[in-house]
Order: sequence, then structure tokens, then C-alpha cells
Amino acid sequence: MLSNPGSPSNGTLYWGTSNCTITGFGLQDPESTGYMLNPFSLMRLLPSNQVFYTGKWYGNLSWGQNGGYLLMPQSECVNYSTVAKLLGINGTLGMYLEIAPTIAVDVQQTKTNNLTLSVQVNGQGSPLGNASLSYLMFWANSIGQGSIPNLNFDSGTLQTDPSGKATKEFAGLSVDNDTTGYTFIVKASLGGISGIGYKSRNIYIANTGNVVPFIDSFQNGTIYLTHNFEKAPGDSNGTLYFNAIFYSLPDNFVPTAHGIVTGNVSFGGGSPFATLLIPPEARSIPGFLIVAYQKGNAFGLTVMPWGIGSIGFSATMGQNPLNTVHEWVAADIRQVIVSDIAYQTKLLLWSLEGYQVTK
Amino acid sequence: MMRTVEILLVIIIMLGAFLTASHFAILPSPRTVSPLNLVKLASTTLQTLDADHSLSDTVFKNSSDPAWTSLQQALSACLPPNIIYNLTVYDTQSASGALYKLNCSISNAANMGVTSLVSSYLATSANANFTVTPQRINNTLYILNCSDANGWWITGYTAQNLAEDLYNMLSPYFEPSSIIMVNNTAQLGKLLNGTDRLGNEIKQNAIVINTFGECVPIPTEYCQGQPRGDEGYDSAGGQYAYTRYCHTLGNRTRAYNWTWVSIVGYPLYYVSNKQFFANQQNNWGIYGMNMTSQGGINAFLRALDGQRFQYNATSIVNGTLMTVYLSQDALNYCNQYGIYPSPSQSATRSLFLSINSTYNLRTTTYLFNPNGGTLAGAVYRNVVSGGLLAIGVARTPDIRLTALGLLCDYKPALIRSEYTVAGTSKLIVLQLGTVGGA
Repeated sequence: MLSNPGSPSNGTLYWGTSNCTITGFGLQDPESTGYMLNPFSLMRLLPSNQVFYTGKWYGNLSWGQNGGYLLMPQSECVNYSTVAKLLGINGTLGMYLEIAPTIAVDVQQTKTNNLTLSVQVNGQGSPLGNASLSYLMFWANSIGQGSIPNLNFDSGTLQTDPSGKATKEFAGLSVDNDTTGYTFIVKASLGGISGIGYKSRNIYIANTGNVVPFIDSFQNGTIYLTHNFEKAPGDSNGTLYFNAIFYSLPDNFVPTAHGIVTGNVSFGGGSPFATLLIPPEARSIPGFLIVAYQKGNAFGLTVMPWGIGSIGFSATMGQNPLNTVHEWVAADIRQVIVSDIAYQTKLLLWSLEGYQVTK
Repeated sequence: MMRTVEILLVIIIMLGAFLTASHFAILPSPRTVSPLNLVKLASTTLQTLDADHSLSDTVFKNSSDPAWTSLQQALSACLPPNIIYNLTVYDTQSASGALYKLNCSISNAANMGVTSLVSSYLATSANANFTVTPQRINNTLYILNCSDANGWWITGYTAQNLAEDLYNMLSPYFEPSSIIMVNNTAQLGKLLNGTDRLGNEIKQNAIVINTFGECVPIPTEYCQGQPRGDEGYDSAGGQYAYTRYCHTLGNRTRAYNWTWVSIVGYPLYYVSNKQFFANQQNNWGIYGMNMTSQGGINAFLRALDGQRFQYNATSIVNGTLMTVYLSQDALNYCNQYGIYPSPSQSATRSLFLSINSTYNLRTTTYLFNPNGGTLAGAVYRNVVSGGLLAIGVARTPDIRLTALGLLCDYKPALIRSEYTVAGTSKLIVLQLGTVGGA
């Protein structure tokens, strides 16, 4: 499954950026050879967690983890049952597939005034010292016309110390009283392997909430920007003004802005969500969506990857057998590349037909 | 009754013995039955480290270079904590002595334990040049480039353009001195008379490419009333009297075992000499031409088969437009020689397969797959001597088909420089083992 791209039913090379069904399962990038996986095929794998929003189920790969969201329409995802049937193991073998970054890049906020971020880079059990870091910083702390938050951008480089740690101070930026929202994305590289991590200050503005992006269509690049109260009602219908920009992020780590949408969303006020359309030319390039939102003097930022790998998300499929009781679990590991980032795939297999080895 | 009881007792005893034995049986551990595939893990680790060519860059650096430290860190970061490794780099050497010589080694363990598995990877230096040298075809190549003749069905090109392009495309496969451009009809006359333009005796087994499409240049001396007019003109052909010239071409092709090449359309449908036919046109406004029509190719093939001239206007070409496809052999040679014409072509001048029996030909190379009793492109060789490469696709000509047809037939080998040349490659071996547990 890692060394073939699968067989989309629509006759094209790609099934990751379409809504089509598949007649053969594979995750390889169709334009690559070897263990290079397609970040969009991975994004169509249906995770075990799901959420319900306005009459539709969404696969929940991340709900606000470090300020990042990835919610995908269940009906357009490829579920475990389909994969098992296509692999010919349905009813005979159980499977759990995990695709996770090899390098862990963890970002922590260590100082609020003169905002300071600490980056810790670890490999499999050991820190990655002297790694080169490239970062992207987006922040919002002011508003423009129509109360739309201004989105600012900066980038630069750092290097980890022997313990795998680096620190970056943004002089003049303060997140005290939520007066600044930010998204910090950092890529670490050493000796031919790269990892990526992020932190987004996705605050829940008091009595108002935040903005949550839902992918509505892989093929059309449709993303709903929803008022969080629409999902989890609070005690207000406060209006949030937002500025959402989609960036493609090629391997050179220089983001390019494509779709831009500004406006507001409110709970119960007639504007529960807004729609952003990723332009066709950007849909096949990994990237991320930044949503800056504000109410009063409070600012927050949300980030959503487009393609697993652009900000270091993981993908899983099946039920982890470590959480259940299975005998004879066989494990295998492969190193793979997803969007220039080193990932490890772990495949666990077990028999569903009893203790003995299945013929 | 007793027998039944005995049988039941035996069954009970055997079942009991089986259950008792099963209870004490020691099954292998899951790890033994389904161990981690260390070979694949090592292989994919090496591929990951070299995804941006970092591994290849590092192994060609001096062992004191900081890049080796980064490589070791990256390797440690890639592998699970319970995996021990030893990465060894070998230099490739020349043929004398051992092929590989130890260059450098990094490891995170004093020894690799009882069981370990390896995967290897060949890295190539960014500074090495690898060349592919075509084997020369040991034949002379004549390319008709006559400035005093016109072409037909080569729309968009001139014969001279095509001659130059063919020269460039085929020159790697011939000795430079073996490619002779026939620059005018006088030089062609010398060729037909037995000497080349320099007065040398013409070569046996040569290839003659007619770049003039459906037309072929004719030397003045072969025209009506000229010294060799009886070899170029015969009134038995009526209005197509110059079919006699096509017979002469077939005759020379047989005599010298040439391979005559027609690059597009109906072979030998016109003759051309701008001076002699200055006032004659081909009914389409191109002057300097005289039609031989369907009799031209018949006359050529009769001569190729050793038969005397006899005008025969029987059509041996299917003029129906059809889509034809490169043969599997041709597709394979596309990859070998790096020539990629479209695998499907429109053909309107496919030769009937029946010419093989009529003129004692055998098809030595199929450029296209046969289609309904016709063949749009192939090399035909007479069982005695001489051959014809006829490509009956519709205009405009694609000379890549001509080059491909010849290369398919002559099959020159491509000699590649070896990747084991000293200093150009390093062999990287990653050995993995596990610690802890049985």
C-alpha cells in the first residue's frame, strides 16, 4: 500500500484531491517513486473520531490540538471497511495503520510579553542537536476596515542547541489579555531528514468562541469557516470578524497566498459560517489555512493543514490493538516521505480467526 | 457392541493425549513468528536519508567533515530506540583486487548482537559523468539532399531541412566519414553509376534515405534523350514513362544490397529535377516534377526481386485513412534510443502484406502493427539482396519514425560507462539489529 498509488475510479492518477471512490488502495504519490506518500491520499483516510455538524458527519483528526483543526467530510473519506475489502483482509485480519512524523517538533510559549517561543526537536528517543530551523510566523493584533483583523507575517531561521532546543523572541508582541493571536510553524532539518511542528494561539474568546474550519469537499477545495458555538452552543451569539488566507507551502518552505476570504460569523445571528474556496491551481499543492479572528481587543488564530505533512499532522486507520486484546499482533515499520517531511508508518496486523495462524 | 465401545475408548484416549500434548506445547513467541522486517526498515531509512541527496553528498566527504555527525544524528533520530545500527560505506575500486574497500563506518553499538540484517544502497557522486556511447553501424549512410529537386508530401519542411535533421539524429550511430550528403542530382547520378561524389567506389550495404517524400530526385543524365535515358525513361510506361527510373533505383538497391528509405506517403510516386522538368508540375503547382504514379513502387520492387522492367500500375497501397500503432518492438526501442514519436499515427499509404509473396520479400522489422492486411511502416528485405523501409503515414513527415525504423532494424548497442568505476560510487550498507527481548 505504500509503494503503489492506488486506483481511483475516475480514471485520473489522483484520488487524494477528488471525491471519487477507489478500486485499489495505495498511498504512494503518483508522481514519485519509492516510499513517497501522497499527502492528500492520507488526508482522505477516515479517522476513528468523528463530529457532527449541521446534518453531516466529519472525520476528526484534530480538534484544536495546538490550535490546529482538521475535520473532513465522512462521506468523502475512505473508511476502514473499504480499505480492508480492497486489501483482501476483510474478516480475516485486523489492521491498524499509523503514519506519524519521525521528528517531533514541539513549540511552547514561554513568555507572553515580548512573546517568546521555545522549540524542542526530538528524534526517536533522542534530541536533535544542531538542527537547522526555518520558521513562519503569522500574527494579528490590529484591525482594518470593517473590523477585519490584519494578518502579519514574518519568517526566519534558527538552530537548535545540543539538547535540541531553540528559542525565538518576538520583541514588541504581547499576548497578555489575548491582544495578539499567532500561528508559528517551524521546520527542522538535519542530515537529510526534516520534521515540522506548529503552535497556533487559538483562544476561545469569552462568551463568543472561535472559528473552526471544516473541509466540505476535497475535490472542490471547499472549506466552511464556522462559528464554534454552532458546534458547541455557549451563552452568546457574539460576532467574530475573521481574515482567512490559504497558503500553499512547497518544499522550499516559502508560503504563497491564494484564496483570501474576510467577513464575520455569529451564532444564531444568520451568519453561522462562511465559505472559502481553495483555487484550483492550489488544490494539488500541500499548504495550510490561517484564520485570524477577533472580537473587541481579543485576537486568535486557527490553522488547518491542506494535505497531511504541511504542518506535521499524523494519520491513522483502524483500531489500535494496544487498546484491545489481540493475540499474535505482527508489526512492521517503514520510513516514508510526505511533503518533504520524514514520517514513519507502523502497520499492525492480527488474526480475526482465532489464535492459530490464518491460512 | 464391544467393537463400538473399543473404538470409542480409542477415540477418547487419542483425544486426551492430543489435548495433554497441546497443553504442554511451547509455541514460538510472536516476535519469532512475525519479526520486524529489518531489511525493509534499513532500506527505507537509507532512501529517506537520501531523499534530498544528503546521504549521497555526505558519503563522498572526508570522514572528519561535520556532515558525518549530522548523518549519525539523523540516523539515530530515524530509528526506534530499540534498534541498533552500523552504517558502513565502501569505496568502489577498479577491477584489480577487491571491488569494494572500507571507507567509513558509524554505529551506536559495540556489536550487532546475535541476529542482524542489512540493506545496501549505491550512492553516486554528483561530480561523476556517466556516458552512453552508441555502437557504430558499420554501413554507409547516404542522405539525399539534392538542391535541384523538389519534394512532395513533406509539407512544412524542405528536403534539405529533413536531411539536416536526420543527419543530427543519426550521426551518433555512424562513423562521421560514413555519412554522405548527396547534395545535387549530379552527385546522385554518380552514386547510381557506381561512384560517390568524391569518386570513390560506392559502398555495399549502404542505407539511402530519400528525404523528398513521395518524390525522388532524378539526375539529368537519366532523363529522356540523355546518355542514360534508357535507364530512366521507357515509353512502355505511357504517361508514367519515368517508372523506368524507379526500376533502376530498385536495380541498384539489389546490386549493392542497399536499404532504400521512403520517409512518408506513397513511395516513388514522382521523379523530380528542377532543371529538366522546369515546365512540368505535379498538378498541385509544384514544378520540376513528373508523375510515376502507382507504377513507381511496383517497378522498384520488381527490380529488387531481379525481374526485368515491365510497367505495372497495379495498386499495392491502401489509401484509406487508418490509425496505426507502433509495434511492441518499436515501443521498446523508443526507450532504448530515447526517440519518442507518438505511438499512434495516421496512415494513408499502407503497403499490402501481399507484396512479400509477390516480390519475394520478408519483413525484418515491424515499425507498426499490421492492420487489415496492410502495413504502414516496416523494413522489407528481398530474400537475395536489398531492402526497403517504407513509412506510409500521412504528411507531414516525422523523421523520428525514420530514425526509429532504422535503429529498430540495425539495433546498434548502447555502451554505458560502468557505475563501479573507481571514485564515482560508494556502496552504503546499513546493518540493523534489535536490543532487548527474545
